[in-house]
Amino acid sequence: MTGPDQAGSDLAGPDLGGSDLAGRQGLDLTAAPIENGWHAIARSDDAPLRHVYQTELLGRELAVWRADDGYLNVWDNRCLHRGVRLSIGSNEGSELKCVYHGWRYSSRTGGCTYIPAHPGQAPARTLCTRVFPAQERYGLVWANLGSEVDPGGPEPIEVLDDGAPFALRSLPVNASPLMVMSRLGDYRSDRGPGFEAEQEPTVTMTPMGPLSARVTSVLAGVEATVVFFVQPVDAGRVVVRGVLAETPTPSLEIQTLRHHAEALEQLRQVLEAAAGGEPRPAPLEAALQRVEIREPVSSRPGVGDDARVEVVVERKAESGRGVMAFELAPVSGELPTTQPGAHIDVFLPNGLVRQYSLTNRAGDQGRYVIGVKREADSRGGSAVLHDSVSEGDVLTISAPRNTFSLRRDARHTILVAGGIGLTPLLAMAETLNEGGHSFELHYFARSADHVAFAPRLGRLGPAATAHLGLSPVETGEALQEIVARHEPSSHLYICGPGPMLDAARQAAGHSGWPDPRVHFEYFKNSNELDRSHGFELTLARSGLTVFVGPGETILDVLRANDIDLPSSCEQGACGTCVLGVIEGRPDHQDVYLNASERESGERIVACVSRSVDDRLVLDL
Amino acid sequence: MIKLYDYALSVNCYKPRLLMSLLDVDYESVPVDFFPGEEHKGAAFRKINPLGHLPVLIDGDFVLRDAHAILLYLAAKHDRSGRWYPTADPELIGQVAQWMLFAEGTTATASAARLHDNLGYGFDIDEVRQGAHRLFRVLDEHLWFAERDGRDWVCSPPHPTVADLAIFPDVMLSEEGGISRLDYPALRRWTDRVRRLERFTPMPGIQPVGAPFP
Repeated sequence: MTGPDQAGSDLAGPDLGGSDLAGRQGLDLTAAPIENGWHAIARSDDAPLRHVYQTELLGRELAVWRADDGYLNVWDNRCLHRGVRLSIGSNEGSELKCVYHGWRYSSRTGGCTYIPAHPGQAPARTLCTRVFPAQERYGLVWANLGSEVDPGGPEPIEVLDDGAPFALRSLPVNASPLMVMSRLGDYRSDRGPGFEAEQEPTVTMTPMGPLSARVTSVLAGVEATVVFFVQPVDAGRVVVRGVLAETPTPSLEIQTLRHHAEALEQLRQVLEAAAGGEPRPAPLEAALQRVEIREPVSSRPGVGDDARVEVVVERKAESGRGVMAFELAPVSGELPTTQPGAHIDVFLPNGLVRQYSLTNRAGDQGRYVIGVKREADSRGGSAVLHDSVSEGDVLTISAPRNTFSLRRDARHTILVAGGIGLTPLLAMAETLNEGGHSFELHYFARSADHVAFAPRLGRLGPAATAHLGLSPVETGEALQEIVARHEPSSHLYICGPGPMLDAARQAAGHSGWPDPRVHFEYFKNSNELDRSHGFELTLARSGLTVFVGPGETILDVLRANDIDLPSSCEQGACGTCVLGVIEGRPDHQDVYLNASERESGERIVACVSRSVDDRLVLDL
Repeated sequence: MIKLYDYALSVNCYKPRLLMSLLDVDYESVPVDFFPGEEHKGAAFRKINPLGHLPVLIDGDFVLRDAHAILLYLAAKHDRSGRWYPTADPELIGQVAQWMLFAEGTTATASAARLHDNLGYGFDIDEVRQGAHRLFRVLDEHLWFAERDGRDWVCSPPHPTVADLAIFPDVMLSEEGGISRLDYPALRRWTDRVRRLERFTPMPGIQPVGAPFP
């Protein structure tokens, strides 16, 4: 046995000479330099678009897939639901779909974006598969499973950086990493194009790290260097990945690949024959590790700071009259997973907090994109973003919350947007479009000039219709026409100014749409709030009874008692602070719940709603 | 109408089902209680196939056994494009025959391992698994170099042939016999391509794959 540091120093020496390292005991695969090291795990072309490549590293199975934007994902190869391999799932472009029950996971973050068995609910943020950093270099894909990752990527290899590296065909070998490393010097590529079969080359093998070596053959003054990277699949299995220092001329490429594949095949036969005579080493066991998630807790200053995300305003540009589009990039790492319909809190430099829907389709995680309309009566929210925030500024936002989530199981989906209400519906439309679902998007705007995100709307083709410059009466007529056609499994999503939203919901009701198929999100709560009556509030699970006095809200009283309830808009529009009601009749003052939810009395929006009865018992 | 004596979980029954689906040929599936009933070994079924195995195809008066023979027959008779079983070029006839015989090998190894693990058949499991790995190595290398040459399929034409279909299910279901495809990336990419063919039909354990990059 060797200590954790010995393995690396043992084999990583500058020049051990000779080709035979056999007899050395030192290749502890659990040692830090290997565990925290970068390993070649694929050729770059093993991960073409819309494919999921499967491999294993240090006993851990990996699913490797490239999103349509080129991002390379290296993940634990198991679905969080039933443990089925994600590598037999489907690369949908920006999400990976498990073959078993259709759970979807987002590119970059590995966060779950959709669970078909719960089509109306946004998946919990804690559902996040383990992702590993990846890089591409020398025509190979590199990954690092370690807890202390050097973000710079694999150690540079001078002979490859200075040359024109050409990745050879990789070959799996059923032999231990140590045995393979010890025999790489036996690699003979002397029967290649241009060489006489009878001649003997001079071969030098130079270890470059615990699991890499450079093999140079010189024959008749012609030098050929191959750098081998040994992927430690498991204790008794490897993949040998060779990279030629110089790319052959195009006409010789296939011949060169064949020649090296044959040479490596010969070495494999020797290695496997030798390994067959030895006892099989015990397989490595990949440890299960907890995935750290940034969980939004509260938008109240000082509470739930772990939920805050710092972002850089990467781009700020007008998109339609009076609308500013902001592209928000992560300061470090990746942005938290979002799904269509989600919104974020933006903490403004002047202390105000405002909510904005993300326009990102599912799996589109590179940059958050929001659209901010300048409000004529701005109290400092939209005006600050329009006038004071510039490209390069750092903003604090919350992780996304989703109380307006999109079902992807409808036979047909109708999306109705009014003005800046387009933003969540654009995310939905693009998600449905990418998934090949049937949908239509109706966008009511004041004029062609006011149309926001026009290029993205254009890419939706005939599914998107703009209704421009209609009067309220004309809008009402158009809405009636839109909702008149519907099938039993259609779903309707509406977001826009209050009067338009009211009209659309009313029209849907008249056309026979049941409440559960009509989804809406108001910008704000325009109801006149009545806080004149006090009531007793019992929290059943906490075993606490308190009094909510006139002028106070349930949320205020909870916080005064150190109970931290997630909240966002705090005016009864977004639905973040919804709680279950056990006893008592809620006095609903929000615009989040629909009519049947209100009537059932089972849920209450804690920031604005109160109690009709003297006593209210909540499931908290 | 064509009749296929059929068992839902059989790779060899799936092969003609897949081709008939791809060719849009109507047929009637006659279910045979292969497991646990062993109806294929009974006297009644042996009148149809004295060898007592599935599948058997009946087209009018013509009775044909053996999945790979059935593939050739169906392609020759029902594929007007002449692509699935190209017979104009002697080299192609040879290639198709060569890989159809290769498929006899994958059936006798990979699919035998599956019968061992799923239905308790008495094969030497180590031997059949090793045999499957030997064949998969050869096929993976063949397909890897085919890709370098811009070719997607087992034989040289720019379209699939019956040889692809003969090998495909043995490969796709190998994990059920404890044969991992981890070491065969080119083989795995080829299974995506087969599953993306128009009118592809699945079977238990063989799921369709999502759309290709538009």
